Parts: sequence; structure tokens; C-alpha cells
Amino acid sequence: MSSSIRPDSRPKLEGSAVYGVDLEVPGMLWAALVPSPVAHGRVRSVDLAPARALEGVVAVGAADLERLLPGAHVDPDRPVFPSGTVVYRNQPVAAVAAPTLERARAAARAVRVEVDPLPAVADLEEVFPEWPGPCADGSPHLAAHVRARDGDIESVFRAAGTVVRETYRTSSVHQVAIEPHACLAEVTDGRWRVRTSTQTPFGTREDVASLLGVPEESVVVEGTWVGGGFGGKGAALLEPYALLLAKASGRPVKLALRYREEFLLGRTTLPSVIRMETAVTNGRIVGRRVRLLLDVGASLPGRDFATGYSIGFLLGPYRTPAFEVEGYAVRTNKPPFGPHRAPFAPQCAFVLESHLDHVAREVGVDPIAFRADHLWKEGDVTPLGQRVGPFGLPSAFEAARAVAARWRAEAGPDSGVGVAVGFWSTGTGAGGEARVRLSATGLAVVQGEREIGSGSVLAGLASVAARSSGLPRERVAVTYEDTAHAPFDSGVFGSRTTAALGRAVEEAVLALLKDLAKRLGSTGPVRLGVDAGEVVVEHGTARRPVRELMTEAERSGGGVVASGRHYGKAGTIDEGKVEAGTFYPYHDFTGTAHVAAVAVDRETGTVRVVRYAAFQDVGTVIDRPTASAQVEGGVVMGLGTALTEEALWSADGRLLNPGLLDYRIPTLGEVPPIDVTFVEGFAGSGPFGAKGLGEPPMIPVAAAVALAVREATGAHVTELPLSAERVARALKML
Amino acid sequence: MPPLSLVAPASVEAAIAELRSGPPGEVAVLAGGTDLLFDLDSGRGAPKKVVSLRRLPWRTIDWNGPILTVGSTLPLRSLERDPDLASRHPGLFQAIRAVGSVQLRHRATLGGNLGRAAPASDLVPILLALDADVDLVGPLGERRLSVDRFVLGSRQTALGPAELVRSVRFPEPRPSTYLWQRVRPANDISQVAVAAAYSPSDRGWRIAVGGVPPRAVRVPEAESELRSPDPSDDEVRAASERAMRRLSIATDRRASEEYRRHLVGTLLGRAVRAVRNGAGGSPP
Amino acid sequence: MTDGPASVTVNGRPLPLGDVPASERLLDTVRWRLGLKGTKEGCRSGDCGACTVLADGVSVLSCLTLTHEMEGRALTTVEGLADDPMGRAVREAFERAGAVQCGYCTPGFVVALVGLLRERGTSASASELLDDLGGNLCRCTGYLAIRRAVALLPKEVP
Repeated sequence: MSSSIRPDSRPKLEGSAVYGVDLEVPGMLWAALVPSPVAHGRVRSVDLAPARALEGVVAVGAADLERLLPGAHVDPDRPVFPSGTVVYRNQPVAAVAAPTLERARAAARAVRVEVDPLPAVADLEEVFPEWPGPCADGSPHLAAHVRARDGDIESVFRAAGTVVRETYRTSSVHQVAIEPHACLAEVTDGRWRVRTSTQTPFGTREDVASLLGVPEESVVVEGTWVGGGFGGKGAALLEPYALLLAKASGRPVKLALRYREEFLLGRTTLPSVIRMETAVTNGRIVGRRVRLLLDVGASLPGRDFATGYSIGFLLGPYRTPAFEVEGYAVRTNKPPFGPHRAPFAPQCAFVLESHLDHVAREVGVDPIAFRADHLWKEGDVTPLGQRVGPFGLPSAFEAARAVAARWRAEAGPDSGVGVAVGFWSTGTGAGGEARVRLSATGLAVVQGEREIGSGSVLAGLASVAARSSGLPRERVAVTYEDTAHAPFDSGVFGSRTTAALGRAVEEAVLALLKDLAKRLGSTGPVRLGVDAGEVVVEHGTARRPVRELMTEAERSGGGVVASGRHYGKAGTIDEGKVEAGTFYPYHDFTGTAHVAAVAVDRETGTVRVVRYAAFQDVGTVIDRPTASAQVEGGVVMGLGTALTEEALWSADGRLLNPGLLDYRIPTLGEVPPIDVTFVEGFAGSGPFGAKGLGEPPMIPVAAAVALAVREATGAHVTELPLSAERVARALKML
Repeated sequence: MPPLSLVAPASVEAAIAELRSGPPGEVAVLAGGTDLLFDLDSGRGAPKKVVSLRRLPWRTIDWNGPILTVGSTLPLRSLERDPDLASRHPGLFQAIRAVGSVQLRHRATLGGNLGRAAPASDLVPILLALDADVDLVGPLGERRLSVDRFVLGSRQTALGPAELVRSVRFPEPRPSTYLWQRVRPANDISQVAVAAAYSPSDRGWRIAVGGVPPRAVRVPEAESELRSPDPSDDEVRAASERAMRRLSIATDRRASEEYRRHLVGTLLGRAVRAVRNGAGGSPP
Repeated sequence: MTDGPASVTVNGRPLPLGDVPASERLLDTVRWRLGLKGTKEGCRSGDCGACTVLADGVSVLSCLTLTHEMEGRALTTVEGLADDPMGRAVREAFERAGAVQCGYCTPGFVVALVGLLRERGTSASASELLDDLGGNLCRCTGYLAIRRAVALLPKEVP
């Protein structure tokens, strides 16, 4: 499978790629948001008059919505501007636009916002210092409650040889794409048009339509190049405000966040407290209880997916005969919880792997053998009753074990090696569609996603089309169209682009080949090739230039068109085990096993990762450079979660480190060599058996580092990140 | 940023006159600008006039016998890249490398860093350990102060009205080293740092600790435990312990008080041993 | 304030400073006054390096620079390296090494590297260059492809 240099490399290197923040049209206004000054309070008044007094300023607030959106069916639970209560600091209470950015920011400052403060809660453990009891169900602090079980865990615990109980805490981490959010909106011809940096043009369209209460068909979203998403650009954020200002002013409106606002307004992973209890008899797990308290910020009740979804990653990928899991999504006065890369799974893997490692040590069993003994393999049934599909994790784990043994033998003093695993459900999302258009000289894949960076769109979809058709990669181009013209796709998230949208592309190519076969009069399959610069259709030894098979219309520009769609289905869980809330089945079981070698400074607690290896279950590698790059990038992002990233909140809901100096992502000099190995052959539902790859490499990193630190020093750290101070405390240096 | 007036006087006299043209809160000095602009963006200060020093002839490095004199508006990177710095003042070289990034150091200056007197400054500790002086110029003429007397506290210096740092003077090359602890190795602020130097001329040690508010300090109690250029491990340990006991340290969101205190002891021991063992006498 | 009209040169073309407010950042002048969007706005606090430009050949953070402070200097943005042999060598190395993913940090890296090559000389080792790139953040690549790109730079770049 050959691969070419990506077509977006050159414009990005030359500085000509246009991102959301770069957008500019004549006559546009610049917008700014008016923030709530407190984290919790009742809005008494938002006086826009002082802003409107400035020349050229347009302002919109809650009172303007009816006028701007006549007859709109707005969701009362999700007003664009709160007229009752504000629930997080900096929550936008109004928006302004002006001919210059400076005047817009001055206008935003001029708005008089009067909010009667209410007690704000930012600390999860302040809301529930003890685990919530049954009476918590009606609590306004609960966004969701999930509970499931199998067996009577109390009697299992009583009968067990040993029960090990631990509590872990994880921190809030941000996506930190280097590009801030930005969009340019215009309302013309009755259409709400917005150009925006987004991972999900269609998802954004749906969000905007729902928030503004307008029909989806009246909203047109056009994506720009995206400077990184990592889950943070997967839903509408700025677009509704920009569109309202565009409607109010009759002008195009540009709204971009300054980087500080990325932190203050970002929807991301929030803190958690997790209690793990595991019962072991004769070296085998006989029962587990897991309790999760997850901070979901100002999430609305009933709209939380995080808790029911995440809790599965505190159970699997391990077999458990009896279990009880309970999760509480706790509301605090912070921006709502939002998806990060493999949302909350790195935190879960850190907790689960650290805990099982600890359990093994407590009962005197080799920690790696202990986990290997309980690891899922294909055909096993998950605790929630879903059959495990083709699963490369056992293979990946064995390979990781072997590398770890070698590295361990070479490790010096104060060095250690950790092996950790994780799994993810890839190929998710509602589904996707794609078209292909064949000309006399090449194939275009017509679809509705922008390249957000990984290459899954520009390289991955091109590779799928090339491989399915027989054409060389250089003859395939992936083109992008906006939501008014492109076929629907759920979005670039959830490790689904190659696996799910790729399937739609494959289906489109197969439909194309079927059509060409019919035109050729052949009963068997045809392939495409290139001869003397022209595309030819091949069947056996016969080959015809495709031009000869085209109609007049097709020849003069339309090309031969075909479409494909893929709407994947997840498996099912056993609802009989669910006692409260919603749990989620998985699509493709995708495993990942990592090895981290660390050196720990025993006097300061500083951890340095010196070598790293990742074994990734991929089904089939579609484009090797793209795939390797994803693993490398995911591991390094995971190192940030493991060692340095932590968003710190004050008791009154203020983010204390909203900047890249005090919120630290890894720098170039901190990165170890990373060996990437792909485990192929355990097929997923993607084209040629591919599974998704964007998120899994992020998952076991913190776990691998934590286990390596334990092996190096004996320090058992039960909090993330593994800062030098936490390691020092675990080593009783202080 | 609200509108402001930016002036770039071409002479020292003109600069001093500009600084006297308004009350202190309304006139700010701009050297490299990396700190000033960051502060203005954070809402710290809103000067009406900014006096840029870019035209003044202070971007100089002068080696005169043992004495090194650095002009206050010389970009740190230029000092870092001086061919003789790393061998004659290894600790200073290491400290400069710790400041921000290369891009930042192409603009940031010694004078600016001293003038800001941030408690976590990576330069103040080594300047203390090298017995550096600042040469000031102002309406009342010129004067020289030790850095120890110049930096008074967090963001507080002994600068008088309309007074400027013209240069920083290092009296002699010293085996020296600068060690720090931070969350990540590059582009970060130090939680705790220790500069250690040995003075060949008075055969005495200098130990300065940074990251302890309100300002970096020399620790004479620790210095007095080191009785020779080749102190024993016991002497080094005693010096660490005295520093740990003596210093007043605070907790902040970067590190707790106990951890910082522990770091002081650890880094001090390492720094002294590094200089003792000759590591501080040659480039790292 | 000065003798004669003040100006700054950007990619070889003079920009008179008369209409530029004193408080304007070089980043905003370059992007919005001159329309050179290749220089990116990232953190706007001097921590990410995405806004790196060259001033008389050395790399500076345009987000923390007042445009007027660059009076009389010759500035180069990523667009100004289009025909520059060092710029070309860096771009080719990045392409071959697959070091461009979302591309947002890319212009900052390219400009910073050209600046380093001019400063340290083209015989600088890969590790010397990499030691000086701590001020450029990347969130997509994990830096390994960027390290490989730097290792691919020819020893004699013109």
C-alpha cells in the first residue's frame, strides 16, 4: 500500500491554509462575548445600552431573541442567553459586534451585567463529601445516576479471600488544540450560514438549528481547515452567537476566542473521584465494585453521556464474575463536561490498571500475569453482557509483555518499566455517506468533512478509495463540500472516520464498479487502472478507457457518479443488569497495550519517560504513515495527562491557570523514542477490516507511566497527574 | 490594550526626561517588552506612556580583564551565545538557558528581568551568587548597587524615580551552577532554584535560593557551613539543612511549602557538589 | 518622535508606521493590516511559538512585540520564506518526514528553524537545533516527526 505526501502539507508549510481565525470578508463586524462575572447567580439585568451607545456597535441579549427568531421553537432548557440563572463563570450573557475588535471588546466591557450571586460550588467533593446515598436521586446536583450489577456483591465480598479497596482522584484536562475556536457568520436569503473551524459540520448544523429553533435545512455550515480538535471542536460553541449578531446587524460577523477564553469556556474532562473494590480468591477476581463520582460541570440533567459510557472503562477489558457499578454525574459551577480525546478513558485506564496492579501485589500474584489471566478475548462476554468481537488486545498484550521483560533487564537503578492496556469502541457515530465521481483521469471522493489534522480524511479516505478501486493513490482526490451540498456524515470524532466514513467510501466505490461492470457487459468484478494517463476499466484481460463507457453528459464534466452509505450498529448489552440510567454497547472492540520505561529522580520525584512502545490493534492498516503519526501524537498527548496537565479551579468556580504557561502540555524535548507496532488481523467493521485509531493510543499512557513509576520506586500514586510533588509524597520524602 | 503613547528617546538624558514627564503609574519602561506586554494583557497596569529603550546604546558585552559588563538592553540570547560566557560563568549560562524560549530570549533583557523582580526570576539567584552589581543612571546621576540591594521584593526594586538600569557588572568569573525544579524542563517557571558559586578571590561560597517569595535570597548560614573549595559531604548536608530551616517558604499553586523546602535542600546539595566536583567550571 | 517617517520592512516591502497605533502588536499588524495570515495567533502570551517571525533574521514572538519597536528592522514572515533556500530546505524536510498534521504550529516551526539555521549556521547538529525549539508547541504530532524532519535537513543549506 503506497502512500503519497499529503496534499495539505504544502499550503500549511507555506502559510496559505485558511483556518477559522483567519477568515475575513469585506464589511464584516468583529464580535465579543459578554461573560457572567460569577459562577452562579440570578440574572437581574443585562443592560446593553452602554454598549449600543458606542459607534457601530450591535448587541444581542436574551431580550432580543424573540425579535430575531420569530416563531422559533427554542429548547427552554438550553437558551442561547440565560435569562434566569447563570451556572458557570464567564457563561455568555450577551454578545456584541463592532467594526473593530478593539471596539467590540470595549463594548463587551461596557455592558452592565447585574447578577445576584448564589453559592457556587466548584469542588466535586464539596457537593458530595460522602458517596451519595439513595436520597441523592432528586438532588439538583445530580445530572445523571447510573447503576448496574450482576450477582450479590456484598456476599461475594464476605466470602472472598481478600478484598482490596482504594480511592483514586483524577484531574481536569483540556484538549489544547493550538488553534482557538473561530467562525464567520452571515444570514442571507433566509439561510443561516456559518464558516467555522469544526470537527462536525453536520453536527454543528444540528446544534445551531436546535439552539436557534430553526429548521436544519435553513442552516449551512462550511468547515475551514482545523488546527486540531481532539473533541473540543465537536459541537457548536460560537456559531449561535455569531449568527444572531449577523441577523441583528445584517452584516457578516466574525467571532474568535482569545486563547485564555479557550480555557475559560472550554468543554472538557473534569475531575473525578473513583472508588475501586476488588475481591480475590486464590488469585482470581471473584467480584468488583466500582463507584464513580464524575464532575460534569454545568451539564443539564438527563443529557450526560459521560458517566454511563465511562464506567464501562473502569470494568473492562477484564472478566468479572460478579460486579456492581454506580456512577454519579455531579453538577458543579464550571462549564459543562465535554469530550476530550477518548473522553475520560485515559483516566479510567489509569485507575483500573493501577488498581489491578495493586491488587495483584497485595495478594502476592505477579501483576502482569494477573491481568493477563482476566483479559478479554474474542467471544468473551463483557460484564454488561455484550459479546466481545475480534479483539487484538491479547496479542498486543503478549507483545508488550515481551518488550517489557527485555527493557526491565536493561533498567538501571531508580528505573522501572510499566505495561498497561486499554480498549476503546471505534467506528461509532450515527453514520456517514459519501459520493465518488470518476472522470477520464481520476477519482474524486466527495464528502462533508474537513481534514482536522490526522490525515484520516485526506489520506485515509483516499487510500480506501484507491484500494477498493485499484487506482493508484495519486489518482484519487478527496474533496470537501458544505452541509448544503455534501452527503451527511456524523463528524470526525470517536475514531470513526476511517472505519465508518471509510466504509461509506468503500461502498460508493463498489457501487461505481458495479455500474461500470454493467456498462462493460461483464458479469464479474471490474477494477480500475491507468493506461497512457487515462483511467481504464479492467476485467480479466479486457480493458476499456472509462471515457468510452461514459454518456455525453458524464464525459463533458459530470463524470460517473456513485454513492455509498454506512450506518454501523453497535452490539447490545443485557439491560437486565441495568438498574438505573443508560449504559452503552460498543462498536468495534479496539485494544491497545503500551510499555513505558521511566527513570525517577528519587530526591525530587521527577519522572522522566525514557523509552516507550505502543502495540495497537488496528484490524488493517489503511495508511501506515498516517497511522503511525496518530499513535505517536496520541502517546505524547497521553504523557501530558500523565505527568503535567491539570486545570486548577478555585472554590468559587474560577479557573486559576487559563494559559499555556501554567497549564503545561509536553514540549519537544520531553518526548521519548516511541516504537509503534500494529497488530493486524482482528477485523473491525471498517474497510478491509480496519478499526478506528484516533483515540486508542491516548488511553493507557498514564497507566503505563504510573506502573513504571511504581516499579522504579515503590511509589503508588493514586492521583493524576503524576507530578513530581505527588511522587515525592508517595515516596514519603516530605 | 487602551491607546498609549510610545516614545523611543535617542539619548539617556532624553529617556530620563521622558520618565519624569508623568507620575510613576502612568509611565512604563520598555526594554524587550516580553514581560511588559504580558502584564498589560493580564490587566496589570495601564500606563499612558511607554518609554522604549531601544535606541539607547546599551546592547553591549564588555570583557575587561576579569570583569564582565553587560548592557541592560542586550537581548539575553546574545549574552547566551557569547563564546566566552559558558566557560567563565557557567551558572549564568545555565540560568539564561532556563529563561523562556529562544524566541523570548531574542527580546528579553537582563535589565528588564531585574527591573521586574519577579520572585521566580531565573536570573536573580545567579546574579546574587556572582555578586553582580547594577549600574543605575537617573536624574541624580549614576550609582552602583549590589543586586542584593537592588531587588527589594516581589516586583519591587530600589530604582528611584526616573532611574534606569544601564548595565550589570560581574566582578569575576566563578565556578558556578544553576539548578532548578519545574513542572516541565522547557519554557516554564521554576518552582525552586539554587545558584551556587565559589569565589576564588575571597575563597568563599555563595548560595542563593530562588522561588521563595518575596525574592531570591543569599543564604549566608548555609555558606558558612562550607569551609573550603572542597567541602565534605557532611558540610554540604549541613549547609542544606540550615537553608531548609532558615528560609521562609510559601505554598502556591505550583508547589506546596513542604515540597519547596525539601527541594531547597536537595538542589542546594546538588549545586554545591556540582561546583565542588568541577562540573561548574566548564560548560554543561 | 523621530527623525523622518518611521517604517518597518516586512518581506522586503516597507510599511510606514504613521497609521499604526502604538499599542498594536506585530502579530496583528502582520495578520490584519498586511493580510499575511500565515503567522498564526495561538496563545497570545508568548508560550506556544505559533506567532514566530524573524526580525533581522532572528526569531521573535510577534504576539509580545509592539510593531513600533520593530522600526527600522527587516521582518520576515513564513510567506517571505517562499523563495528562501533555507525555507525550502525546511519545508521539504517537513514534507518528507510527514511532520505536518493540522498545520497550525507549522509556520511557527518553519520560521523558528530558519532563524536557528541563520543564527547557528547550517552545520549545526540536529540536537543543537532541537534543543532550541522548546518554545514551539505542537499538539498533533507528538514532535517525533518534527525531530525526524530536523534530522533530514541537509548539512549544507545554502
